[in-house]
Amino acid sequence: MQTNNELIKIFHGPQHPGITGNMSVELDLLGETIKGARTHVGYLHRGFEKLIERRTIIQAFTIVCRICVPEPDPNEENFARAVENLADIEISQRAKYIRVMVLEMARLGALFLWMGGQSGSIGLGTIGQWSVHDRDLILDLFEELTGGRVYHMYIYPGGVRRELPNGFLDRLSQLLDYLESRLPLYDNVFFDNSSFKKRAIGIGVVDANEALKNGYVGQVLRGCGIKRDVRKDNPYLVYDQLDFEIPTFEGGDVYARAMVRRGEIRESIKILRQVIKQMPEDGLIMQKIPKHRKFKLKKDDTFVATESARGEFAYYMAGDGTEKIRRMQVKGPSLIHGFTLLEKLLIDEELSNVAMIMNSLGICPPEMER
Amino acid sequence: MIESLKQQYNIEQKESRLFKLIIKKEEFLKTLSFISSSSNFITLSQIACADWIEDEIFKLNYILTTKERDKNLMIELEIPREESKLPTLLNFFPQAEVMERDLHEMYGIEFIGNPTLYDFALENWKEIPPMRREFDTLAYVNEHFDFRKGREDNRDVKVEIKRRRAEAKRLKNANK
Amino acid sequence: MNTKLDIKGTISPFNAITKLFEHPNTICYPSVKKEIPKGYRGFHTNTLTDCIGCANCQDVCMNEAIDMIPIEEDKNPKNSSGCIPRIDYGRCCWCSLCTDVCPPSSLKLEEDCIWANDNSNNFLYMPKDK
Ligand code: SF4
Ligand code: SF4
Repeated sequence: MQTNNELIKIFHGPQHPGITGNMSVELDLLGETIKGARTHVGYLHRGFEKLIERRTIIQAFTIVCRICVPEPDPNEENFARAVENLADIEISQRAKYIRVMVLEMARLGALFLWMGGQSGSIGLGTIGQWSVHDRDLILDLFEELTGGRVYHMYIYPGGVRRELPNGFLDRLSQLLDYLESRLPLYDNVFFDNSSFKKRAIGIGVVDANEALKNGYVGQVLRGCGIKRDVRKDNPYLVYDQLDFEIPTFEGGDVYARAMVRRGEIRESIKILRQVIKQMPEDGLIMQKIPKHRKFKLKKDDTFVATESARGEFAYYMAGDGTEKIRRMQVKGPSLIHGFTLLEKLLIDEELSNVAMIMNSLGICPPEMER
Repeated sequence: MIESLKQQYNIEQKESRLFKLIIKKEEFLKTLSFISSSSNFITLSQIACADWIEDEIFKLNYILTTKERDKNLMIELEIPREESKLPTLLNFFPQAEVMERDLHEMYGIEFIGNPTLYDFALENWKEIPPMRREFDTLAYVNEHFDFRKGREDNRDVKVEIKRRRAEAKRLKNANK
Repeated sequence: MNTKLDIKGTISPFNAITKLFEHPNTICYPSVKKEIPKGYRGFHTNTLTDCIGCANCQDVCMNEAIDMIPIEEDKNPKNSSGCIPRIDYGRCCWCSLCTDVCPPSSLKLEEDCIWANDNSNNFLYMPKDK
């Protein structure tokens, strides 16, 4: 407790346009400079992990997508893969390709949304309007494929829930052409913008030496020049049969992470093009799975991970031989980024950079408090 | 690298890139400090806890990941459910801070040596830690929240089928 | 701090001005409506001549959104319980699991999805008979 009124304490969030979701950061300020930071979550606690223990597997499936709003599919994929591990289900090659397609479309959508958020956090609102529109076109395709725009509930233990609509791959490939034609515009107005560079270079620098040991994931690592990506290191589905690069950038600052994401948009488009080309013509999209109350997991546990647009999502799942899941524990990228890393990075930064740093770390509260 | 660990410990391979090691509670600190310092499993990626209430234990899984991020090792140990205590891993992994805080709040596990075990997601929580299996979510909800009115006319289908069968039988008998 | 003048980075953002003269991408709702694709997960429909009143849909619904209500007029002689589902749209999350488990596939989701009401108690919905 300060008695000489040197430091001012303010709460950045939960109602603040610059905060990424319903959370808050408690800041100790000396003038404009942050001297202490503590993350608070709990405004979005919905008790998913507890609810899942009360539900059958099929019922639990509808809840996992709600763990990440901009990109629900990695969660569905994790859940489905963990259940398949514990129930010994092998899915078809075609279902794997469809899943990769959905995951990459979701990644593209999330990256476009991030572009809006990141540019909005430094006051470049125009880019947000464009990129959210472009994301909407991806959502339109999702709507056609899955029947929902945001929560797709599509990747299901045993495969995927619906067959591709007629001509879907053609429309996807047209959309990719369109999105690719938009990328130079974003380069001009956002990534090359001198005002963005002035704001972002040298801000929020992550120490590359301790990044691996401290368990940072995703763009935070790749922005330090460390090439790590679950899709390459621990490949799932058919990622080992696809040809793509992992973009990296030196510097470890907000700008480096932005440039990594810029590369990732291009890589995602590349992956999607290959998927369209290699998609098997036939194959069961859905394996035969037991009926609702007869679907049981064996008594065992497993650990699965999926790369999302913000880093690694990892699930621990334990079954106990009944139709309910004994335990499912979620670890999203924000758990470490939002506490250990953010609290460290914010020290000696300016108040106006908080929103920018949080956005570039991709911090999102639902996966911290589950 | 996993080969040399396999000689020392009884490591079971679960999947192509997932390994499991079951240890005793007493060996916990020794094993973790050894593996994290002398193998390439340098990162703690998750502390997963499952409540096995019928056996009166918590099963904790410390999931370590290699430097290359290509293999995961689950280190499993059991601790009693009552007065559950474990030493903190804060000295090895700074990220353990928030994971332990989470488990402390959700299961009531005491991590000795972690000074940051304050509120995580719940504020002023007075009841038993919510992720313990004896905490009844439904009872809590029924006590604290109201249900929407107008749904009382819901029928139990099994009862309804029985009733209709009996009625049909009665009609049939009456017609005879 | 880098004080060198970044000419390209200063000029290129003005590219955005060209977008001023383009046709906007937004549509003029409600006079123009977006086309909703087939297979969208909107409101429920229930073919009453097929529904057998088995309550499978009620069993699978994890939100407990479904009530089984006595039917007014028997349309399907095979309906052994004489009940049909009614859905609480304050609870439903449109996961469409109920339509997946329906044995005669009588319960379906239609494309229509717009409903506004000022009282949340009015969200009890009887699926349309289709
Ligand atoms: S809608 Fe389908 S699942 Fe529900 S009671 Fe009727 S037949 Fe059974
Ligand atoms: S769509 Fe899902 S939430 Fe809605 S009534 Fe059917 S099962 Fe329940």
